[in-house]
Amino acid sequence: MLASLLPTDHFLIMTVYALLISLFFALLWRSGRRERVALFVKLFLALVVGALAVAWLMYPFPS
Amino acid sequence: MSDSASPPPLSTPPFKVPAPAPRRPGNPILAAALAWIFPGLGHAYVKRPKTALLYAVIVTATFLLGLSFEGRLYSPEPGQPLTILATFAVYGAGLLNIAARLLSSNPNGTILSVTYEYGCAFLLTAGLMNLLLMLDAFDIAAERKS
Repeated sequence: MLASLLPTDHFLIMTVYALLISLFFALLWRSGRRERVALFVKLFLALVVGALAVAWLMYPFPS
Repeated sequence: MSDSASPPPLSTPPFKVPAPAPRRPGNPILAAALAWIFPGLGHAYVKRPKTALLYAVIVTATFLLGLSFEGRLYSPEPGQPLTILATFAVYGAGLLNIAARLLSSNPNGTILSVTYEYGCAFLLTAGLMNLLLMLDAFDIAAERKS
């Protein structure tokens, strides 16, 4: 029921996943507000841009 | 009159006042156990309510998204040793995992669903996050982390 309402777009799901992971580790590993925001941005960009880079590198390979 | 009978100067106290013993934020084992029961409960116990609320929201959202994406609540399978690790990870989510196993009509997920792999990743991640929260709550209660 709920599954039909959720997105099936791979990029969107991956972005949500990256968002949750980045939030969690920014809270866990840093204490100050500025440090947390900085780590959140770094982690989020690393996850999303890294995934896109790996996807781009894998593109020539046959499925 | 000699000075030998005079009292010591006021700047030096006549005896050492013992410093009050530092109070621990809580029992480390209890903090870890509460953190396992529900995400953030351990941090609430060691008096970090805002962080506890944020952890509860993040881990619960991750777990519920995993269920909604028709991921699998792993159980050990003979001949599949990696399922033991996956089961350990999912059981890290504590009562969320147990409640989902009891209440869900589809604990094994739907392998043919487009989002099955994502669902499994979300469920495993939620459990592993909560295991980290248990260690964090333990460390805060034991004063290993400020």
